Amino acid sequence: MVGNKLFIRRRDGRIEVRLSDAGRAVAREAFGHVVAAERDPNHEWHAGLNAPIDPSSDDDDPVSTLNRQHEISTNAELAVMTLQDQFLNDAEAWAWLSTFQIALRSTVVANGLMSNEKLDACPSELLEYIRTLQQFLFALAECL
Amino acid sequence: MRRLTTETDVTTEKIVATERPWNVVVWDDPVTPMSVVVVIFKRIFGYSNNKCTQLMLTVHNEGRAIVWSGQRERAESYCVKLQVAGLQSTIERDE
Repeated sequence: MVGNKLFIRRRDGRIEVRLSDAGRAVAREAFGHVVAAERDPNHEWHAGLNAPIDPSSDDDDPVSTLNRQHEISTNAELAVMTLQDQFLNDAEAWAWLSTFQIALRSTVVANGLMSNEKLDACPSELLEYIRTLQQFLFALAECL
Repeated sequence: MRRLTTETDVTTEKIVATERPWNVVVWDDPVTPMSVVVVIFKRIFGYSNNKCTQLMLTVHNEGRAIVWSGQRERAESYCVKLQVAGLQSTIERDE
């Protein structure tokens, strides 16, 4: 069973990344999209990254929105920088998990798939991408 | 002088007593793995595994859960942390 795991917590505390080249390519694409979406207001994921904090208010506190932007960028950039690493520390693994999760939700929001029915009816290629991200997240969450 | 101080204290107490807390709400979505939600709650709030699992199940079964209540600034800060971790979260005034 251990041989099938995508991420493994080692005795020294580090998390070993066991993604194949294809898996790392999916991770690269996902992390790259999050970095780009945070910088580019026209990116299809950008709106999803700027969800309201207080929907009862017309505008959110600019300091809070700036903090969010900064933290998402920091996590995504750390994930990109460690993409080829074989081992991750806790902070790096957390950055991977957060960035995968943002990529997953942004994909779903951008494609209008916020219900099980719509998800089941989406194109198979997109569904496969979503399932792959879920698999990465599931495996990484087991280590954290 | 003493009387003035007492009046100020009474006024302050009234304000504190009538101020409603702010809730941090997490919303359900069809794709986030349950174990990921638990890990995120543990990391951000430091709750026990049982409490995180209970909150995750409330989100899953009821479509939303109040995961924290209190002062507005802290509620906003927790909401941002949840959004940074990729969960759909908002704040609202307690009813």
